[in-house]
Formats: sequence, structure tokens, C-alpha cells
Amino acid sequence: MKKRKLSGFTRKYLAIPYVVFMAIFVVLPLLILLLYSFCETRSDGSLSWNFTFDNYKTIFSPSSVQMLTRSIYVGLLTTLICLVVGYPVALFLADKKYNKSPVLVMLFMLPMWINFLLRTLATKAMFEAMEVDLGMGTVIFGMVYNYLPFMIMPIYTTISKIDPSLLEGAADLGASPRKAFVKVTLPLSLPGVLSGITMVFMPTITTFAISGLLSGNKISLIGDFIDLQVVNSLNVASAMSFIILIVIGISMIVVNKYDKDNTSTGGGLW
Amino acid sequence: MVKKIIVKCLFALVLVFLYLPILWMIIFSFTNTPSFSSWGGFSFDAYKELFTGRDSAAIFEALRNTAIIGISASLISTVLGTMAAIGINSIRSKKAKAVITSINQIPMVNSEIVTAVSLVLLFGILRTFIQLDGQVQMLNVILAHVTFCTPYVILNVLPRLRQSDNKIYEAALDLGCTPTQALWKVVIPDILPGILMGFVMSFTLSIDDFVITQFNIDGFQTLSTLIYLKAHGKKSLPASMRALSSIIFVVILGLMALINRKPKNKTSKQGAYKK
Repeated sequence: MKKRKLSGFTRKYLAIPYVVFMAIFVVLPLLILLLYSFCETRSDGSLSWNFTFDNYKTIFSPSSVQMLTRSIYVGLLTTLICLVVGYPVALFLADKKYNKSPVLVMLFMLPMWINFLLRTLATKAMFEAMEVDLGMGTVIFGMVYNYLPFMIMPIYTTISKIDPSLLEGAADLGASPRKAFVKVTLPLSLPGVLSGITMVFMPTITTFAISGLLSGNKISLIGDFIDLQVVNSLNVASAMSFIILIVIGISMIVVNKYDKDNTSTGGGLW
Repeated sequence: MVKKIIVKCLFALVLVFLYLPILWMIIFSFTNTPSFSSWGGFSFDAYKELFTGRDSAAIFEALRNTAIIGISASLISTVLGTMAAIGINSIRSKKAKAVITSINQIPMVNSEIVTAVSLVLLFGILRTFIQLDGQVQMLNVILAHVTFCTPYVILNVLPRLRQSDNKIYEAALDLGCTPTQALWKVVIPDILPGILMGFVMSFTLSIDDFVITQFNIDGFQTLSTLIYLKAHGKKSLPASMRALSSIIFVVILGLMALINRKPKNKTSKQGAYKK
């Protein structure tokens, strides 16, 4: 017994380098981000310690509000289209009647791993070939193209975890397939839908370069705004990033809460 | 029956949607026209241009940088992540474990651009304390890549550790192994597939990264930032960049297909062990 405890101690220490690394490269940068968002940079580049809300005011100034609303519009529309297309795909992929091979699932997920720059350039090539004018339509198309797999994946995962006996039970008790879907599958798939929405909406509005490339630099979104501000004012870039961080944090908490009720109740650590 | 056909059509349509642009890019890397709208006959000119043309020096330079960053970042991430996973797995305090695994998730769930900006700030401050010049500049990007790669190594190694039986490690100790020996002879071989998977995944993520690299790079190019540089503000992608993009598509898709081929039956094993 004594020995076991001792060995536990030695292995535990192996986590220390990474804990230190995370403190410096994950936690500290976010704290600096918070600090910068409430400060100003002097003309010589050093940070002045005066507490200020000016950076946040810049973000919500009339000229930027248009960019924010445009980003939210693009985000909502993209998310909606991904949901409408992605849900049925995920539903049927998870259904043994329609899909028996894991290869098909993999084919839908693979494009996620290619960086969006290359995928966006590929869509741009398509538009060029079809002689489509670049604009809002092409930006939305590009966003849906880039983020559709991120909607399909979480919904597919939750639906394939649903116990098939629940659907059999519903059928035995006289529910039509349609009713069984509405009463059983749909409610149980909601956590997946929720995490799909966050995985599409947030990246869509914060992405950088897609909108510029697919609109001929006519449309800029939050990501392009940050890219510009990194050169102009790191403080404004920090404030914008911090707002994104908060929104992501809140959505993660909501998603985890829903998910906990469903999947990880029995998933204790030991 | 009709429904089955409709579903098949839906799958086919979405797959065409997902792969057509990629295929289009690959097809048009085998012709040498200035635009994507007309086919100029089959040729390897774009690839010739890529390897011997005007920009080839810059491209090879970028390729070298991408490889150096990818290999260093994935090696560091693999060592750091494997050690961390073994450590996390043997921590008994639930609270400490929860804190570490939550922080570990930040780089995975956070918006890439936020990670990029926060690292720009960190390196800006570090630079006032430590002056690095020339070649060492690459260190910034390598460290940035380690930051987002290591969580994926842990993600691959930790489930393997949970599956593996702790009693074997203890038996090794009882039979006279030192903890270090037991680690090398029992634990590491047992979780090796997870470690290798984590390594390949890190390498893929690193060579594929654009946003975080673009923000933190200074004075040199990687393949993705070079493509962006050549594509930005232009109407059509230059032929050599088409060839380069096509090569990256094939390499990344190949690597990911390789990784995803295996873990299908592992999840069930893991589930059986949980109880």
C-alpha cells in the first residue's frame, strides 16, 4: 500500500512541465489580453496603466457597429443554413438503415482538417470558373462550405448515442415514425444541435480572411477587424478578443450543462 | 424505398458540395491557364513552375520553415503531452484534475484569433525581456504551435491510459522495477499507439495552421502564409500556388484518413473498461 502511494507521487510530477507551460502560454496571455483591453498604449509603444473603457467604446462606436451587425447577420444565416442541411445528413448518417459504413462518416468529417484558407481559395476558384460575382452571397456560401462539417459532427455523435430501444419502445407503444422522431430523437439530439451551433456561429463571425477573399475585400467581419487592429491598436484588438472570449466561455458553459444531463452522468473519472 | 434514394441523393449532393472545390483546385493544377474558367490542356507546368520557377526559392524556404516548425512543435508537444497525460492520470485529487483538464481545453475551444492575439501580446512582452534575433524568431511560432497541439496529444493519450490496467504497472514495481523502468517498459509501450496518433495529429495541425502562424510570424514565411501572401488581393491564384495547394490537400487528407482509419473499435473497448 505504501509503495503504491509512492509510485502515484512520482508519476504525478510528470504533469508539472505542462502545467507550467499552460500557465505561461495559455493562462498568462489571456490575463495580458484582459489587462490590455482596459489600458492604452503610449506613442512610444509602452503600456500606460490608466484604467480606461475607451477600447470598448471604439468597438461599439457607430462605424464598428455596422461591422458587428454584419458579422452577426453572416453568422446567423450561416448557422441556419448549416443546421437545415446538416441535421438531416447527421440524422441519416446515424441511421443504420441508410448508412452502414464508417467510411461515409469519415468522408463528411475529413474536410474539417484542412485549413480554411485553402478551402476558401478552392471555393474562390469555383466562383471564378462559374463567373459568379463576389459579394455577400459568395461569402455566405464560403462560410457554409467551411463550417458544415462542424455542424454535422456533433449532431451525428449525439444521435448515434441514442439508445435504439427507446425508438423501438415508441413504435411498440403506437407512435408513428414521424411522432417517434419528434418525441424521442429530436429532443435527445438537442445537445448536439447546441454544440453544433456554437461550433459554427462563433468561428464564422470571428474568422479572418474568408470574407475578404470571397468578397474581393468588400466585406469585413470581426476577424478582419481584429487583424486590422493588431497593427493599429493592440488595445482595441484585445478588447474585441476579450468580448469573443467571454461569449465563447458562456456558450461552453451552456453546452456543457446540457451535455452533462445526457451523456456524462455515468462517466466518472475512475 | 423512395426514401432511401432521396437520402442517397442528399448524401451525394452534400459530398459533392464538400469535395467539388477541392477537386476543382486539383484538376486546375494540371493545366496552365491564368484563370480557373478555361481549360488549357493537360500539363505539369504548374508543378514545374512550383519546383523550378521564379518563386521556387521562396517556396522551398517556406517548405523548410514549415517542416522545421512542424517537426519541432509536434515532437515537443508529444513529449510534453505524454508526460502530462501520465501525470494527470495518476493525480488523485478530482479538483486538481478538473482544473488541469479544463485549462487544457482552452486552446481547443477558444477562437483561433483570440489565441493568436493573446500570443502576440505575450511575445511582445517577452521580447522586451529577452532579445532573440534572426533564426531564433521561429521559436515564437514553434511555441505557439506547441500551445494548440499539446491538448490533442493529451486527448489521444489519456483514453489509452484509462484503458490500460494500472495493476500491471504496480506488478512491475512489485517485481523490482524502479518507477522509471516501469514507465519505459510497461506504461509507454502500452500507450504507444495513442502517442503516435497524437504526434501525427500535432504534425498535421502544425503544417496546416494559418491564423495563429499568420499573426505571430515575423520576417519569414510558412507554406500557408506564403499562399495567403500570393492570393491576397489577387483575382486568380497563381499556377504554382494551385499546385502547392493541391499537394497540401492530398497530404493532409491522406494523413487524416490514416489517423481516422483506426479508432472505430477502440471506443467500445474504452466503454467496456469504464465500468
